[in-house]
Amino acid sequence: MLDFSRTWLPFLYLYGVGGIAFIVGMMLILRTKALNKEIARHRIWLKVLYFGFGFYATLHAVFILLALGSS
Amino acid sequence: MDLAVGTNLDRFVIIVYFVMVMGFGAYFGKYSKTTSDYFFGGRRFSWWLITISIVATGIGSHSFVKYSTKAYQYGFSSTMTYMNDWFFLPLFMFGWLPIIYYTRVGSIPEYFEKRFNRKARFLATFMILLYMIGYIAIQFLTLSTALYRIYGIPLMATVVIIAVATTLYMHFGGQTSVIFTDLFQGFILIFSGLLLFILGLNYLADHSALGGLQTFWQNLTPAQKLPLAHFNRPPDFNFVGIFWQDGIAGSVGFLFLNQGLIMRFMAARSVNEGRKAAAFNVLLVLPISAIVVSNAGWIGRAIANAVPGALPAGMEGNDVFVAVTNVVSSPGVFGFIIAALCAALMSTADTLVNASSAIIVNDVYRPLAKKKTNDKEQLKIARFTSIGVKVIAVILVPFFNSFDSIYEAHGWFHSTFTPPLVVAVFLGIFWKRFTTPAVIATFLMGAALMIMGQFFPQLVSPFSHGIELRPDRGYSYIGALYNLVVCGGVGVIVSLFTQPESSEKVKGLTVFDVQLLREMFKGSKPNDKQGENVEVSWIVNKVQGDVVNFSKQDMDRMAANKGDLVYVSDSRKWLGGLKSIHSVYGEPHEEEGIVYISEEQLANGQFVEDKSVTAEKEM
Repeated sequence: MLDFSRTWLPFLYLYGVGGIAFIVGMMLILRTKALNKEIARHRIWLKVLYFGFGFYATLHAVFILLALGSS
Repeated sequence: MDLAVGTNLDRFVIIVYFVMVMGFGAYFGKYSKTTSDYFFGGRRFSWWLITISIVATGIGSHSFVKYSTKAYQYGFSSTMTYMNDWFFLPLFMFGWLPIIYYTRVGSIPEYFEKRFNRKARFLATFMILLYMIGYIAIQFLTLSTALYRIYGIPLMATVVIIAVATTLYMHFGGQTSVIFTDLFQGFILIFSGLLLFILGLNYLADHSALGGLQTFWQNLTPAQKLPLAHFNRPPDFNFVGIFWQDGIAGSVGFLFLNQGLIMRFMAARSVNEGRKAAAFNVLLVLPISAIVVSNAGWIGRAIANAVPGALPAGMEGNDVFVAVTNVVSSPGVFGFIIAALCAALMSTADTLVNASSAIIVNDVYRPLAKKKTNDKEQLKIARFTSIGVKVIAVILVPFFNSFDSIYEAHGWFHSTFTPPLVVAVFLGIFWKRFTTPAVIATFLMGAALMIMGQFFPQLVSPFSHGIELRPDRGYSYIGALYNLVVCGGVGVIVSLFTQPESSEKVKGLTVFDVQLLREMFKGSKPNDKQGENVEVSWIVNKVQGDVVNFSKQDMDRMAANKGDLVYVSDSRKWLGGLKSIHSVYGEPHEEEGIVYISEEQLANGQFVEDKSVTAEKEM
């Protein structure tokens, strides 16, 4: 039996603490206009950045579910 | 364990591979005419070329060996370190990348001098060199661990042979050689890693009534299928320690402080191309790389469960990659896959050696040289420096060989050397209030507190997240969190009690000024008016200064004005910008479809007669 600290705790910690780093980074580049939403190319980058976060979170979650499914 | 592997055919294949790569590197050496070419490849390359060469840099030979070991022991969680780099990408792509590109810093320590002072630059130089030369030593050790089993040459003699072989093609090449050999080796790495996976699945299919993939899946336990390790157990491989050591200190260290990687991005033809390379690399290439470097361990575990006795009894951790490859592949193919391991070493080592010599020339030689030397002499110094760097790395190999595994040696290395630099560069870029005395204190007091943590592990205990303390080893990975906290604490406290820098001094050096950077780079207001790229023929003509002259009609199509920046490249896109130049629009002429360039620009761009060029307005 796989316990919580082997399955979802690392996931929550990764996307919790890592998520804080990501959100602080996004806020900083948006507030300083280093990523300027008025520029078309930057708007695409904004979507790519959010997509990447979601992509990795989904990938990890799917593998955890697959492992749990095979236990 | 006495593991003698490989046939004469395999040994021959490995030698042929080495010779081929050296020839490849020496050929592209002709594109290194100045120190800028030698170190930065003339800032001309397309994103895809940068991406593939980053793959080869990111996957070191240590990657194959150390990840296979952990994959064999713990399963899919060996991929953790390849899948946690996205968190800092926004700050890298829109903070650090434009700063280093547009301020034209030659090295990371040079940024420290601009942002703080010369003392900060020298301290940063010292620490970055320690980091990189140690990294090179680990590469040498790893490949030697694999090759001395195959050739039966003593470990240290193998280390010396590898150092000499990598020197030969690096010595004459520089960054352009590095990028192009890495392009070649990047493909070889990915191909051979995936080939090994397929061979492993075939082997499993041959020894089972089921298909290869099904046998593979069924012979891993549920715990081995999990993508993340146990939260805090065991002490030598746990999630939370590796998260702080690799996901935080390692990711920031790799993205923000690895001079080799930074030089790759500075070789991109524009900041946007650098962003594309970074995003594509982390989003697509890293997950593939995780499979490439780990699969020997997964296959090995499945084989051990499905075909008992197939792998050598008493196999040591570091031998998993070689042993599994030997079992699943045939003679010749084994040699080819080991050659890929050579590719991994050579491509990582060449990048780091090139980067180290860039730092020595830019941050030690240039500031200290009493008389001014010309570019040719500096290029000569850079070439000989790269030899010196390798000699020191070879001397360091026995120290890293004293660790239990290469994974632990590498983990210790990251968690010890990166935190002061990570804190210094991070606060420097993202906190205007961070002062010069504070950065010096971060380096010196931070290092002192870190050393105390090594000797008194009870200082690290409050950060341990329940990880068991090994009495003779201390805390391996979670030490990174303690190191980050003490260095960050020193930096913040000293900043709050010292005089802030003037706004003028930090102008263009923090994320708050990224918008200004393009203007500073160009020297006038950027022209963002939308235009189109034009394909034109080139002729050599007398041009005034470092400009190129287009016809008025072509300039209108590009929406360009005199004084704007332009990028001119050979129209064949597959060259990836190898034949290209950056310049400035000069006075327009009346010959539509023609661009006037100078003899010097022709020599730098290496344009081919009768081949057209494409011009793109940059800003």
